[in-house]
Amino acid sequence: MTDISDFDAPKPPAWFGAAIPLLLVLLAAGFYWFLTAENKKAGNENNSIQDIKLSGSLIAGQTYYIFASEIEVYPTNLENESWDQGEKGPDIRYRILWKGNAVFESITKDNSLIADWSGLSIELNWKDLLGKSVSSDDAIKAARIRFEEGEKIEVTVEDVDVASDDDMGRHEIEMAKLTIGKNEFKLKKNQTSAIRKITLRVLPVGSNVEDLANIMK
Amino acid sequence: MNVTRFLIAASSLLLGLGLIAPTLTIYPQAGELTWLIKLFAPEELVISTYSILGVIQKLFQSNDIFLALILVLFSVFSPVIKLSFYWHATNQKDSKKFNSILKVIHYIGKFSMAEVFALALIIVVIKSFPGGSSAQLEWGAYMFTFSVISSIAVSLRLDSKKN
Repeated sequence: MTDISDFDAPKPPAWFGAAIPLLLVLLAAGFYWFLTAENKKAGNENNSIQDIKLSGSLIAGQTYYIFASEIEVYPTNLENESWDQGEKGPDIRYRILWKGNAVFESITKDNSLIADWSGLSIELNWKDLLGKSVSSDDAIKAARIRFEEGEKIEVTVEDVDVASDDDMGRHEIEMAKLTIGKNEFKLKKNQTSAIRKITLRVLPVGSNVEDLANIMK
Repeated sequence: MNVTRFLIAASSLLLGLGLIAPTLTIYPQAGELTWLIKLFAPEELVISTYSILGVIQKLFQSNDIFLALILVLFSVFSPVIKLSFYWHATNQKDSKKFNSILKVIHYIGKFSMAEVFALALIIVVIKSFPGGSSAQLEWGAYMFTFSVISSIAVSLRLDSKKN
């Protein structure tokens, strides 16, 4: 048994108390950090759920933007002749058909074997940019198609000519095979189609612009 | 616990929160072309929220070591040291020692808190964002402000005890 009383016990130096504010600062900061670390963890889990919705297969009943970001054709037409007279390449334009209706027609890309489209209306007038008449929704140049089980779309490609447009081919696609984002279809030439490759982009309508932009990349 | 120590403790807790809690949120805009930027470079328009420690971290990451050290010194170390001296002063029975501690506190106080806090905010706004953007103070800024106010109250109470 010790005979040292509380009165006799060694006292901490006077400056020892000065550490208390530092400890309180660390305590408050640590407490907040602990709370937010938990919230961030939960937030990340929610984000990953959102990611799944922005990728993967299509959801029945949901409407999607669909456009061809790239179409490549074989160097000769269906009769195995050059596309245009002279050395010029074909002027490529495509349509998307849904339920037998052409729901989207692209602009024409001149003299190309590989034509590409951004899916965005970058051909804007300055008055559109300076005014507030153009929304991000209007800027997306694509077919709007609602996905239902068993639904199909058709992509038809033409060589645009002054006299008459020449059929380059068509390709029917089961929508169930499409995924959100990039979809590539490599095709063999046959008697009815001279399309070598179609790259389709599928974007969910109603997503925020940031997500759409990321999917388009 | 006496009122002065209570105020020092409150100021310390508020300072801890003020340093780490969200202080400022920036909403970047690009005027009429905002929607276009959102399409082509959405990363340029991400809404950013900063704490004071977050600002310091960002400055370190962008190799602005000098600015980062200035902020660490004046918005973290200086207030903490000042509060420590306040607490130390409340322990003093010897009036000579008490007065000399107050002198040190007033000297340190010249470098800390409110002005530097404003400076930190301005640095972030100027360094990071294009014109047309807007900024909004978050609750961390108010915690920091209340910490400063508590600290001033402590200073006034200690001054009144000065011989």
